[in-house]
Amino acid sequence: MIIADRKPLEEILEMIADVDNIMLVGCKGCVTVCNVGGLKEVQILSSSLKIARKKADRPLQIEEVLLERQCDPEYIEQIRDTYDRYDAVLSMACGVGPQFLSEAYPGQRFFPTVNTKFMGGAVTHGIWEERCAGCGTCVIHHYDGLCPIARCSKSLLHGPCGGSADGKCEVSQEIVCIWDKIVLKKMEQGRLEDLRTFKPAKDWRSARDGGPRTSIREELVQ
Amino acid sequence: MSDAYEPQVLAFCCKYCAYAAGDLAGSMRLSYPANVKVVQVPCSGRVDILHMLKAIEDGADALYVAG
Ligand code: SF4
Ligand code: SF4
Repeated sequence: MIIADRKPLEEILEMIADVDNIMLVGCKGCVTVCNVGGLKEVQILSSSLKIARKKADRPLQIEEVLLERQCDPEYIEQIRDTYDRYDAVLSMACGVGPQFLSEAYPGQRFFPTVNTKFMGGAVTHGIWEERCAGCGTCVIHHYDGLCPIARCSKSLLHGPCGGSADGKCEVSQEIVCIWDKIVLKKMEQGRLEDLRTFKPAKDWRSARDGGPRTSIREELVQ
Repeated sequence: MSDAYEPQVLAFCCKYCAYAAGDLAGSMRLSYPANVKVVQVPCSGRVDILHMLKAIEDGADALYVAG
């Protein structure tokens, strides 16, 4: 899923310093699962904003809304009758949400309340890690299911680099060197020879380097 | 207007211990300050961050959870 972090309250307060009446829209998708933009987080942010604005002597009115998803037009439609009753609309979805909203309702102002970070999963309760960089041409079968594109700081196809030490990446002691893990796994499986196979340079045009991407499924297009 | 600032304090008390202790204090005719408002909860684990935020939002200056 997509992992995001809530923006600091001060940053959100600054964005909406000139408005008095907002709609705060949560999303039941990824941001609910990573505890950043679901119902509970909408209520917490709403209450925190109201307290801060009351303290600053400029009370804020907030309508709390939760959409099934903010990355599908059919759910974005659900606020068509109400979106313009507010000075601004704040989205708690990933970066896709405020964009779908502002494309659907050009007359309104939309603000993000989270910083969208990566595609990953929860390795334990409360800790999420990056696993995929959406490169567009998956190659993890060459690496026993471990992705060097997303998980090696240099996205090396042949590794590790000279900076790998004690299983950690030279970029930071906090980063596990995935190449260390790939090599260990190959050794355990007796297939270290696999890594001698030369991999031609990856075609990054299928990744973000080729510009914004589109996915078309002909059978679904009417 | 009085100079003395008197904070409004909300106390979330567990039915089985803190609230029961409050009851006992009452039957012993002990008093506590009038600016402390007690809310009985079935368990202190029932108190959610939203209960606390709503209390502050609605005018409480301080709160405590006893259980
Ligand atoms: S190889 Fe590309 S698509 Fe596959 S997991 Fe890694 S980043 Fe994602
Ligand atoms: S130390 Fe490991 S993870 Fe870090 S850049 Fe080198 S090969 Fe990649």
